Amino acid sequence: MASAYLDTRVSLYAHRLWDDATLDHLVDVSEAELVETLALRGLPQLIGGFRAADGATPDARSLEQRIVAQLLEETRVLMRPLGDGQRGFLTYWTARFEVNNLKTLLRGKLIGERPAALLASLTPMGGFARVDETALAHAEDLAELLRRLEASPYAAIVREARHAFEQTHDPFHLDAALDRGYYEGLGRRAEALEREAGAGFVTLMDRLFARINLVWLLRYRFNYGLPPAQVYYLLIASRYGLSGARLRDLVGREGIDAVLAALPAFWRTRLAGAHGIAEVFARMEQLAAAQARALLAPGKAAAFVRAFAYLILRERDLRAVRGILRGRHLGLPARAIRQAIERAPVGSH
Amino acid sequence: MFRAEPLIELRLWILASEAQDVALLLARFGAFSPAPAAPDALPDVPGKAYAEVWDEARTRCAKLVELCGAPTADATPLAADVAPTLDDLVALNAWLKTVWSACLACHEGQAVIEQERARLAELEATLAKLEHLNVDLDSLLRPDGLLAADIGSLPAGSVKRVGEALTMTGFVIARFAQSGDQVFAVVAGPRPRHGEARGVLAQAGWRELSVPAALRTHPGAARAWLEEERRRLEARAGATCSRLDALRGEFAPRLEAARRQLALAQPLAEAARVARGKGGLAALVGWVPERDVAALRARLDARFPGRYAFDARRPSAGEARGVPTLVRDPPWLAPFRPLVEGYGTPRYGEFDPLLPFSLLYLLLFGAMFGDVGHGGALVLLAILLMPRIGRLAWIGVAAGLVSMLFGLLYGSVFGYEDILAPVWVSPLADPFRLLGIATGLGVGFLLLTLVINVGNQLLAGQFARALFDANGVAGIAFYLAVLALLGGMAGVVGQTWAVPAAAAVALAIIVAYKSVSGEGSPGERVLVAAIELLESAIGLFSNTLSFMRVAAFSFNHVALTMAIFTLASGLSAAAHGITLVLGNSVIVVLEGGVVAIQALRLVYYEGFARFFNADGKPFTPLRLAETI
Repeated sequence: MASAYLDTRVSLYAHRLWDDATLDHLVDVSEAELVETLALRGLPQLIGGFRAADGATPDARSLEQRIVAQLLEETRVLMRPLGDGQRGFLTYWTARFEVNNLKTLLRGKLIGERPAALLASLTPMGGFARVDETALAHAEDLAELLRRLEASPYAAIVREARHAFEQTHDPFHLDAALDRGYYEGLGRRAEALEREAGAGFVTLMDRLFARINLVWLLRYRFNYGLPPAQVYYLLIASRYGLSGARLRDLVGREGIDAVLAALPAFWRTRLAGAHGIAEVFARMEQLAAAQARALLAPGKAAAFVRAFAYLILRERDLRAVRGILRGRHLGLPARAIRQAIERAPVGSH
Repeated sequence: MFRAEPLIELRLWILASEAQDVALLLARFGAFSPAPAAPDALPDVPGKAYAEVWDEARTRCAKLVELCGAPTADATPLAADVAPTLDDLVALNAWLKTVWSACLACHEGQAVIEQERARLAELEATLAKLEHLNVDLDSLLRPDGLLAADIGSLPAGSVKRVGEALTMTGFVIARFAQSGDQVFAVVAGPRPRHGEARGVLAQAGWRELSVPAALRTHPGAARAWLEEERRRLEARAGATCSRLDALRGEFAPRLEAARRQLALAQPLAEAARVARGKGGLAALVGWVPERDVAALRARLDARFPGRYAFDARRPSAGEARGVPTLVRDPPWLAPFRPLVEGYGTPRYGEFDPLLPFSLLYLLLFGAMFGDVGHGGALVLLAILLMPRIGRLAWIGVAAGLVSMLFGLLYGSVFGYEDILAPVWVSPLADPFRLLGIATGLGVGFLLLTLVINVGNQLLAGQFARALFDANGVAGIAFYLAVLALLGGMAGVVGQTWAVPAAAAVALAIIVAYKSVSGEGSPGERVLVAAIELLESAIGLFSNTLSFMRVAAFSFNHVALTMAIFTLASGLSAAAHGITLVLGNSVIVVLEGGVVAIQALRLVYYEGFARFFNADGKPFTPLRLAETI
């Protein structure tokens, strides 16, 4: 009964997804048509996205907050009929937004930002909140904030981040350790669900982790110039995606082309000729989206997997809408907006 | 008693320079609940800075109190004091920041010392292990060899990953001990790539063990060295504590004054979040009980004659969701309020179910747990617990008394049914009759909740919902028609074609209404309407049958006491007495608890869910706390 309900709910939600042509059309339409389209698509709250509370100054943050609020609301609805394990997985999936909040808090404390300003820049987590962000924002300094976080559900990943920061005093290591800790937690939760969720779910996780690890690898290695051993340590240790042995081989390669040439055949053929990290990301993301879309079709996967696939696609769509709204607001040429919405990285530092 | 107090929306136009005094007056008045004002003519939020600084100062003050204990409260009442200005608050916040930073440094120092103590203990254990290693530590750790080596610890969860990463630098890791989640290990590899390996180790939270040179060649000297380290650490700890004590002595007197200042600033800080303004003008919007409006005006006239303006209006039916709810309960009913609030606060204008809830709760409890003796024990228990649980104990007293009343009806005293003749009937003497009465009670209760819901919807101006929804008039018609149909099939009432026709018409009306009023595409609306209707229909009848548990629990009570008598019957006199006392104690505590929860469940899910929106906002007036 619960599975049938969820299947029906996901099928109804699936109609909300945007196809590429509609998104592309949104780049050029008039302001009035844009407003109408968003309202028709059930996203009226995004229309005023760039208007701040006092209606005066543009506010990109509030648009981001509205997008996350929409995703959290849909996740809440989809979670209703799920059992503990699956519900726990989707709850943890939303914790990415809270981890981003923690990073904002940590960076804010490093530069001595006032609590009110910090709180205004956080994404409200509503019923998904696992920490008291008001109390955290009022921590006097970074040390107090980290100690408070070590008494929170994020204790394990924060403790390692703190140790790394104490050794290096480099905020990058705080962010990197938090991201890695988060995704390793996600991987562990996914492993526990594999049997009931099936092969489609494993493929979905494989694509997700392969993309994150490969993009991080390229960025750390060739943008930040970190040594191979350190890059390897910073990647996610998980059964999903590229294996540890493969990653050790890849981090030792000199140059992006050499790394792409050493990938397994599946990825090598699909990433052949990619110019730069952004294109690698875009192509891998499109493949993951295609996989999610295939699983979303009725009867192709368990209801929970379809719900997860829907959430992945919905987030991708909403971020593309955000890119279009932001691009239009900044007066960027249509070509630049189209390029940006193909390459906007998600959930990484 | 059945509705929240009527409220009036007030808009106060005041001088921005007098905002803190007005807020203080409103807090002392104690019946003004601030609400957000629309940014129409007044676009600014003049009190934003005040609220932000107050938030920071209050948090720092609370942390200081938590760390150092609350200073002795000043008994002088706050009535005569005036609220601090923004400048006063900024100065106070700066002082609190200085004090808290100093305390935090001491506190952090103590935490570091604690960590050092733990590390010394680990080091002692490690050195003991090193003594037994057949390794020349001096050669191993010598900084000029070809081989670079480090001894240290890292989180157990990182060891595998670190080992894999280190192999890429030609280093190896060998663990030799573990303490908690920390693994002690030696890392060794070619010196030219030592920096690379240390980069990985730093990222993994590696902590170097600084083994003194003397200990490398003479591990036996470790104990003396460790003792010296401990003495040094204790001296540092003593100095930190002295510093913290000195700080406490230094700031404690002013901390109490700071808490009073913050208490006086609290009304404006709370009101400032929603107040609007422009230039020298500010507007405060809020809700006031209708009966208190004149008194408030009189106070404002006395304190700010001619320096304020005042708009008042009643909320419309459509605004009910934004209006807070103020309920004034008679003292005898007030103990039951937490049970209603466990479900939610009534929406403004909505029927307040406190009285029927309380009566029904007691009725259900008594019916399920009817026994003169057990009810009396419950009364005694509640009275004994009164100092600890406060007025909630009155629920226990009332439940116990009703239980005694039903005990008289059932003729049961601690399970003995031969002491008192039942005024009515013993549950097991006529179980089918009791089951029928319980079901009838359910029908009556559900009809009452549906009627209340219709009333709520009409008052809220939701006429279509009141008439056509599954919980509206159409739902009542459907429920009664199906009951009549079932009654006809059972031969209780006569059968006529009009009954199924009425049920079908009611059903069609509900489906049509839901299909029209729902959200989403037409297909989605029809699907949702069908699912919701199915759920509502199943819910109505399963909820009715759910009331059979009232009779079932009364049977259960008799059966449980019979089981105890059976257990006790074969025992000696002393054991018999002990078994009866223990058994009856279990019945009072365990069965009493289960019945209390079952009664609550019946009222919440079979009743409240049908008519009680419970999404009201409690009326929270500005108040003057004695201290924060």
